[in-house]
Amino acid sequence: MADANNGKVITLVCERSVDLQDRIDENGCLKEMPGVSVVKFPCSGMIQPLMVEAALKAGASGVIICGCQIGDCYYREGNKMIRDRILGERPPGLKKTVDRRRVVGFWLAKPQVARFLSRAGEFVAQLQQLGPAETAAPKPAPKPAAGEKPPAAESP
Amino acid sequence: MYTKPLNEATLKLEQGINALVSSKYNPFYYHGALPQFYLWVLYLSGLLLFAYYIPTIDNAYDSDKLINAWTSVDYITNHIPFGAIIRGIHRYAGDAMVVTILLHMLRVWFTDRYRQYRIVEWLSGVVLLALVLFIGQTGYYLVWDDRSLLLTRMTCSALDAIPLVGQGIKTWFLNGTEVTNYTMANFLFIHIGLSFTLLFGLWIHYVRMTRPVLTPPPVINYILFALLLLVVAWFPIESGKMADLNAQPTSFEVDWFFLWPYWLLTFMQPAIYWLALAAGTVVLCLLPYFVRTKPVEPAEVLEKNCTGCSLCARDCPYQAIVMVPAPVTSRFKLLAVVKPYRCSACGVCVGACAFDAIDLPNMLDSDITAQIKSLAQG
Repeated sequence: MADANNGKVITLVCERSVDLQDRIDENGCLKEMPGVSVVKFPCSGMIQPLMVEAALKAGASGVIICGCQIGDCYYREGNKMIRDRILGERPPGLKKTVDRRRVVGFWLAKPQVARFLSRAGEFVAQLQQLGPAETAAPKPAPKPAAGEKPPAAESP
Repeated sequence: MYTKPLNEATLKLEQGINALVSSKYNPFYYHGALPQFYLWVLYLSGLLLFAYYIPTIDNAYDSDKLINAWTSVDYITNHIPFGAIIRGIHRYAGDAMVVTILLHMLRVWFTDRYRQYRIVEWLSGVVLLALVLFIGQTGYYLVWDDRSLLLTRMTCSALDAIPLVGQGIKTWFLNGTEVTNYTMANFLFIHIGLSFTLLFGLWIHYVRMTRPVLTPPPVINYILFALLLLVVAWFPIESGKMADLNAQPTSFEVDWFFLWPYWLLTFMQPAIYWLALAAGTVVLCLLPYFVRTKPVEPAEVLEKNCTGCSLCARDCPYQAIVMVPAPVTSRFKLLAVVKPYRCSACGVCVGACAFDAIDLPNMLDSDITAQIKSLAQG
């Protein structure tokens, strides 16, 4: 949740992935988790790594990228593209200074709303443990903490 | 959308399979590659059969040394080591190809992936399906048992019913006016020649897709092949009696994957039969136009920002972006240009562009970034 220590969590979601239409209020925030706001895209492939950087730089404590299940992009390859871009396997990538612990990828089908909410809840709890983000700090990216998976390893 | 419940059912089913085998090994995610795999199996097994097949109908004398299509198939089945297995593989891989093509077709239809910028894929797919069915039928003529003879005669009488061109097509089909050795040579040519035409059709089918998925992970291929071998072992192929031009066979066993048109012919007037086939094909071709949706608003390039880096052209899943020489006033060598009729407005190019040089007209990336920033600050 958004509190003094933690900024908001921005969810960048493909509109064909998990269906959050009934779960968001008029400000684009999740009703269950007011600190998590949702921005929709026609395809997760449209998400620019620059947008992830912009969100963190503007004070967001974390970014959730949510696309369809890997293998099932409606537009063929969008979810693989953004996954590979965030992992640095496809240009344009994410800046090395971005704290990788604050970016997570979920690959979910339209009906998997409950799964999305529980995963988002876990992510928010993780971010709270991390404490406030040090935005734009030019230091090497820390390794993911033990037990935490990089975005691509998240299988639905 | 009239396919919405079907789409949701498909997604649910696939979600279940994902839970079992993970999304990497979900065969539904390689539905187009499954018939492609069986096509390679058919080419290889067909090559082996072709080595020993003799396309004649000679049975002028009845002796132990009689050599014709039927005896050569019999020789392959009973004398060549593993011949029966190769024949079974060729036969059932054909059936499996039809099944997987239908699966492929239903999935793209149910999940609404067959219209607009995918129209070339859909139309070429309908033609490919018709070709595959016809090639499969010609395979049944080649065995030259009593069923082959009956099918040949049914085809001829159906062709007779077509005005103007029917006789010509029949002469081409029989390679003459009646069934002779030349007829079998023609059947073999149609069977093999059209099979290779499939490759041309598949090129059209794939040409507008970047990185088409042609092969599933090897383990799926192994499973597909193992399934095929199981069917071959359980249901060995048997030929009928050798065809006798003087006999009048009247019934045949129907292979429901390939021979259903002949089942239709058993109770339809030939004219109605051709009309039904034509109508079915036209309906399939027009299916994408029955759904009314708003037109795609294609991506637009901002010329002053484009550096000619080609990332968008490389990532576009529909080959909708081409790189052309930049105008002389530009500092760069290349410029991205969108082919609007191919564009799906998915925005992958926007995600690929680090220079803010390509945009969806109804969803500017600068607006989205501003929205993200204000949400993050708020």
